[in-house]
Amino acid sequence: MSSSNNLARRASALGPGLAVLCVLLALVAFLSVTLGSRSIGLPEVLRALGNLDTDGSINSTVTLELRVPRTLLGILVGAALGVAGAILQGVTRNPLADAGIMGINSGAAVFVVFAVTVLGVRGAGVYVWFAFAGAIAALVLVYAIASLGREGATPIKLALAGVAVTAGLASVTTGIVMTNVETLNELRFWQVGSLAGRYAPVLTGVAPFLIVGLIASLGFGRALNGLALGEDMARGLGQQVTRTRAAAFGVVAVLAGAATAACGPIVFVGLVVPHVARFICGPDYRWILPYSMFLSPIVLLLADVLGRVVVVPDELQVGVVLGVLGAPAFVGIVRYGRLSEV
Amino acid sequence: MRAWRPALVLTALSVVLAGCGSADTSGTTTAASGAASAAPAGPWSFTDGSGKVVKADKTPTRIIAHAGEAAALMSFGIKPVGIYADESVKTDANLKDLDLTGIEILGQEWGKIDVEKAAALRPDLIVGDWWPAEKAHSGLEEGVDEKSKKLAELAPVVGVSQGKSIVDLAKGYEDLAKSLGAAVDSPEIAANKKRFEAAVATFKEAVAAKSGLTVAAMSPADDKVYVANPEYAPELLDFQRWGMKVINPDTPDPGFPYWENLSWENADKYQPDLILFDGRSFKPTSNADWGKKQPTWFKIKAAKAGAVVSWPAYWLHTYGHFATELDKLTAAVKAADPNIGD
Repeated sequence: MSSSNNLARRASALGPGLAVLCVLLALVAFLSVTLGSRSIGLPEVLRALGNLDTDGSINSTVTLELRVPRTLLGILVGAALGVAGAILQGVTRNPLADAGIMGINSGAAVFVVFAVTVLGVRGAGVYVWFAFAGAIAALVLVYAIASLGREGATPIKLALAGVAVTAGLASVTTGIVMTNVETLNELRFWQVGSLAGRYAPVLTGVAPFLIVGLIASLGFGRALNGLALGEDMARGLGQQVTRTRAAAFGVVAVLAGAATAACGPIVFVGLVVPHVARFICGPDYRWILPYSMFLSPIVLLLADVLGRVVVVPDELQVGVVLGVLGAPAFVGIVRYGRLSEV
Repeated sequence: MRAWRPALVLTALSVVLAGCGSADTSGTTTAASGAASAAPAGPWSFTDGSGKVVKADKTPTRIIAHAGEAAALMSFGIKPVGIYADESVKTDANLKDLDLTGIEILGQEWGKIDVEKAAALRPDLIVGDWWPAEKAHSGLEEGVDEKSKKLAELAPVVGVSQGKSIVDLAKGYEDLAKSLGAAVDSPEIAANKKRFEAAVATFKEAVAAKSGLTVAAMSPADDKVYVANPEYAPELLDFQRWGMKVINPDTPDPGFPYWENLSWENADKYQPDLILFDGRSFKPTSNADWGKKQPTWFKIKAAKAGAVVSWPAYWLHTYGHFATELDKLTAAVKAADPNIGD
């Protein structure tokens, strides 16, 4: 069968490709630690990294306490968003699926608003957990609504439930924020996705969830390939469709929930990068998932570095940079690339 | 960033627009709505902060005013028919100690004015500060509810400019009150002026005695640090005029020139000997809190040394309140070490 030969040939190139991406990611991470809105000489950065203990100078503090956690967070969050997007697109067979349309951002926002107005909680460190819980609650709600009825959570029902829950939660948030300007101020931390102002505590808080989620996600390749053939076919191949879908949603909830909680809604990475990965790898999710996992943080970190060096001594949030660059990039992919069907 | 920052600062600015303290107004509110009877028949005219001359055939008697401006007018015995504030009138620094019986409250949140209620009051004058950087009156700035802006259609809007000096601002409201028929020579007013003059004299003296002392007016936030641009902060211009070396930031945000935005990596760009900390968010624990939260806040040597004092940011309207605030600053200047930032 020529198609399986094709696949085999492709796979033989995809392995080394992944290694190349790995090197690229390391390079970008290096850039992210060495470049920024403050100009620090390379030797000084290296010295700070070598000592691994701040010597009290601001340059070493910036390197070790600002840039290193920021970079690590960028890698984990980027990978999580890319993988979550790829899984969601596979499970729902919806090329536009990403964390945003599954209610995750609106769920996080509504919980933060609730924390501020009802519980009177303050502080970014605490909001992370409310945002996380909200993201997961929203995703569970979407899945539960979509599961109503005999045929279970079909792609079309998931998409509709996602849109409905997002709209419902967003209106609650807007309603409260309209009458409480203080809440609006607190919520602003989430309005545009950013890696700025998040330090070691945020990183260590969400890292375990992200790492576990990322490892677990890699086991979904085969199942997603089955689902891509259609539900009946997947069942015919012996898959437990409902269970697979529920498990996949669980992983997405953890990945996207933790990512959104840490950095706010970051657009485009979760939507576009899986398409790029699919463009490179073809339809095999066993490759799409790891490619998304490496490509996404490369894109996210590059955008962040760009945002940090264009308006010195100020910074642009990575969400803004991605929005500005992501839209034309997506248009370009749609126009000139032959996108693989989901 | 751009999307929300103006709203934030505007919110914050207008929250404190309301600056006139109870000390200035005690005992004068008994004039109640006596303004109407005392008002000269007209014609009336007043030169607005924008430079425009506002005219009316009859002297206005039914005035709607923004919180701080209302308090300034009330200190001269002019009682408005309606007030719009940026927070609850019970907590608003200007209004909380005033007797507001008989005054309609048209809004208690920034950007939200009940224009229907306002229209029912049949106002013949609206009073709100003129903000030269934004070219708008208080309550009608960019970012407020579109519906609120209809307030300007009810009656002519006048206000004194938040221009180059708080002294001009205080004098401006005295002139406005006078034009509306108020007697501005009460003993309290004279006493406050005297207190103010004495406060300026001791302030100048203290500043002169610390000739090397530099200060910067700052406002830390979750994702960056803001350094105030004295050009658009009348009280900072006053301090400079009286000999205080308030640092002028190099590159104020062109879109919102009240501030220069510094990323946290660049928090130490300026090394003042004393930090004037945005009074709208200042608490006794603020300095320590930010030191804990942001690894680079204490890289500003003055912050590390605890040389931080509350800055009455953007809200002073009267001699009395300015005198009180100046005395606090004088004490901080006397206690400051002019060599911390060197």
